[in-house]
Amino acid sequence: MIADPNQTPAGTATGTVDLTLDAEVAAAEVPAGLVAQSLGQYFRASWLRVRGGDSGVLPVVLGLVVVAVGFQIANSKFLSAQNLVNLFEQSTVYMLLAIAEIFALLLGEIDLSVGLVMGLGSVVVAELVQPSGANWPWWAAIIVTLLACAAFGAIQGTLVARLKMPSFIVTLGGLLILEGVAIIVLGGSLVGIGNSGFTNEVYLYNIFWGTFNPVVGWILLAVVVGAAGTVFWLEDARKRRRGLQAAPRSLTVMKIALMAVAGIAVVAICNVNRAHAGTIEGVPFIIPIVLVVLVASTALLQRTRFGRYVYAIGGNPEAARRAGVRLAAIRIRSFVLAGLISGIAGVLFASWQVSLTTNIIKSANSYVLLAVAAAVIGGTSLFGGRGKTIHGVLGGLVIGGIYNGLYLMGVSSQWIDVVVAGVLLAAASIDVLSRRGAPGKA
Amino acid sequence: MTADQGETPAATAGAGTADPALDANVAADVPPEILAQSLGQYLRVSWLRIRGGNSGILPVLLAIVIVAVVFEIITPEHAYLRPSNLVYIFGLSTVYMVLAIAETVVLLLAEVDLSVGAVALIGGVIAFKLVQRPGPDWPWWAAVLAALAICGGIGALQGALTALLRIPSFVVTLAGFLLFSGILIVILGGADSTVSLNTSVPNQNIIYDMVQGLIAPALGWIILAVVVVATGASMWLRTTERRRRGLTAPPLSLVAIRIALIAIVGAAVVIICSVNRGSSLKSVTGIPWVIPIVLIVLGAWTLVLQRTRYGRYIYAIGGNPEAARRAGVSLRAIRIWAFALCSATAALGGILLGSFFYGQYSSNTADPGQLVLYTVAAAVIGGVSLFGGRGKAVHGVLGGLLIGGIAYGVSLLSLGSLSTPLQYILPGGVLLIAVLIDVVSRRGAGSATGV
Repeated sequence: MIADPNQTPAGTATGTVDLTLDAEVAAAEVPAGLVAQSLGQYFRASWLRVRGGDSGVLPVVLGLVVVAVGFQIANSKFLSAQNLVNLFEQSTVYMLLAIAEIFALLLGEIDLSVGLVMGLGSVVVAELVQPSGANWPWWAAIIVTLLACAAFGAIQGTLVARLKMPSFIVTLGGLLILEGVAIIVLGGSLVGIGNSGFTNEVYLYNIFWGTFNPVVGWILLAVVVGAAGTVFWLEDARKRRRGLQAAPRSLTVMKIALMAVAGIAVVAICNVNRAHAGTIEGVPFIIPIVLVVLVASTALLQRTRFGRYVYAIGGNPEAARRAGVRLAAIRIRSFVLAGLISGIAGVLFASWQVSLTTNIIKSANSYVLLAVAAAVIGGTSLFGGRGKTIHGVLGGLVIGGIYNGLYLMGVSSQWIDVVVAGVLLAAASIDVLSRRGAPGKA
Repeated sequence: MTADQGETPAATAGAGTADPALDANVAADVPPEILAQSLGQYLRVSWLRIRGGNSGILPVLLAIVIVAVVFEIITPEHAYLRPSNLVYIFGLSTVYMVLAIAETVVLLLAEVDLSVGAVALIGGVIAFKLVQRPGPDWPWWAAVLAALAICGGIGALQGALTALLRIPSFVVTLAGFLLFSGILIVILGGADSTVSLNTSVPNQNIIYDMVQGLIAPALGWIILAVVVVATGASMWLRTTERRRRGLTAPPLSLVAIRIALIAIVGAAVVIICSVNRGSSLKSVTGIPWVIPIVLIVLGAWTLVLQRTRYGRYIYAIGGNPEAARRAGVSLRAIRIWAFALCSATAALGGILLGSFFYGQYSSNTADPGQLVLYTVAAAVIGGVSLFGGRGKAVHGVLGGLLIGGIAYGVSLLSLGSLSTPLQYILPGGVLLIAVLIDVVSRRGAGSATGV
């Protein structure tokens, strides 16, 4: 998984000049973008990769299509603009928690506390902006909340990394303690941020429920696609100029085009008026928020030394240690990031729920299960070393889609849990079986 | 979760030491009664064992004493250790005890079952539904057996997924937890439904009495005498039998002390339960039925784990699955059975839970998620290792008692708004401390043997 372009298996693939044809060596371990010289080769290499057991996002994308088609047949409202935005809103918290969980899963650890870190974060941020209480500005409240959640992650990470306690138990104990602390912070009563008379509460409320003006949405899309496209293009051009392996130019163009099409679709859907009466339209703020978290965490994992070390530890901790990686430091940082991202989810959760009660805090517990489910359904391995944060986003969408679709069909919540459990089991089976099928990993 | 740290240093130890009882390496891994020839040696070997990191039930016993003393001091009117409260704590703890015994079986394999809470509640609701009149109106024993069998089947299914496909048990049972929490509401008949026992129907009253029913003090003394004589005789006969055949056996003085201890603890329990804990108008005395029930579950599981081939295989797999496989142990069969038996035992816990809540089940009776957290915590606090191969059924019982004792003690304190959060924070803190001790003591054991 830690493919270094300079060490592609060129040296080992004796007898085969065309790497794309050596399924055993090249396809399963090296990203298709590195081996392929033309678009045709790229597709061939990707297919070999899928057959080799490293199917990446393919199963979850297929799952999304199945969910979309199935529920659309069952209820024609499912793919309406109104419901799609609704679905994304419901999935947001799952996505963020799944990203947080992936930082633990990649190491081969588990963090059971993400749900309640979110719960605590939501209570803290809501309490801090209360005019009758702390009455902090909204941005200060958010910063302190995120710091608190990251600090909690650091404590758990230290217990796991330094004292070698199993992460499963540390975060189980952490979860119990957090549940108590959150109830204490809540003060036994209800706390809300729905009062439109207080500026800070309005800001907090708008994080989840606010939208961009439709025109602003289009302008933002143009800026984002333009910037990302330029970065892609320049990077590939730079690689080619320096004589490094790079994706074919046609592929770069296609990726940029796909991004633009997807973006246009999202903005177009969001700009449809989705209110029963009056006007609610525009891209919700949470879409760029999720995108920023996704891009930042992807960059961190795919482009930095820290990210490479995370994959190295997940793949083989002893090998990583002998290679000079400081296991404890990397592990602690991963748990800090899991706490931090759970904290972001907490701020969104407070904004989403508007008012928080003891029962809502207790229900935050079940979110961790869905976060693990989302990560695994998305394609992240439970055994460490394999997965990307995009898997969390896609898996979160699948879970949100299942909840939303079954709810539209009038299925009661207990049966929805049953379906989610089935999907989780199926995803875990695929994970296990695909690893068994992968060459050299049986 | 599946760290196998089972290489015992027995093979490397012993060289150059004539008296095995004095060799810390041997002492750390072999039960003291096998090494010791006299009471003095026994105590010495036990001490070496504790120093070697294998402290057994000592930490949890100490914790129970500390919790009891602290709550006795800080509760209003020093009410914590009143007989009425002690009996109530035991009733409250039984669920955690039985579930923790169930969880122990799976933990010994270095697996985990996160669905025990949901499965236990399903078992309870099934048994309660089956004795309803009008309704199926099954005899109580058939309803209990059906609940155990159905939950055993659920466990076998989860065990099969874990054992055959090698999907991590943690994920299988996580999915199982979601699945059975949903099905629980379905069986109950909707989120707002309840199912309760009618105590005027004798058949239903028997299940109600499992926790709520009392044995009259006089009968209690007779049962105690029978139990002490029977276990004492069997222990004594077993020791003399072993000695006659030339096998290692614990010293007779030790056996006598053990029998005396059983008698003393039993007498204390009967005395506490015989005190009138009702009002001066209506006296309430006697031993709750649940005490012998828990003892039977404990005794049965202790026998299975310590005296049968199946139990030995469980420890073997937990210690080192690959070694067990090469020795010819069928990993799949043992694992599937362990999950099945764990779920069946959990179902009994669920029935006791319903009986404890005065024979009524609703979707609010217990949160399956919290139940499983408390259960794992109880087993680990009791001294069961998370890495497999180390732990006994009695650890689950003691851990469950500790958790129940803390939960009730906090509720006695009249802390107002703090009492709910403390019921989460204290078990969480105790769990972390227990695992810290587990980890540190293992590290101590490792360095002692040069691993």
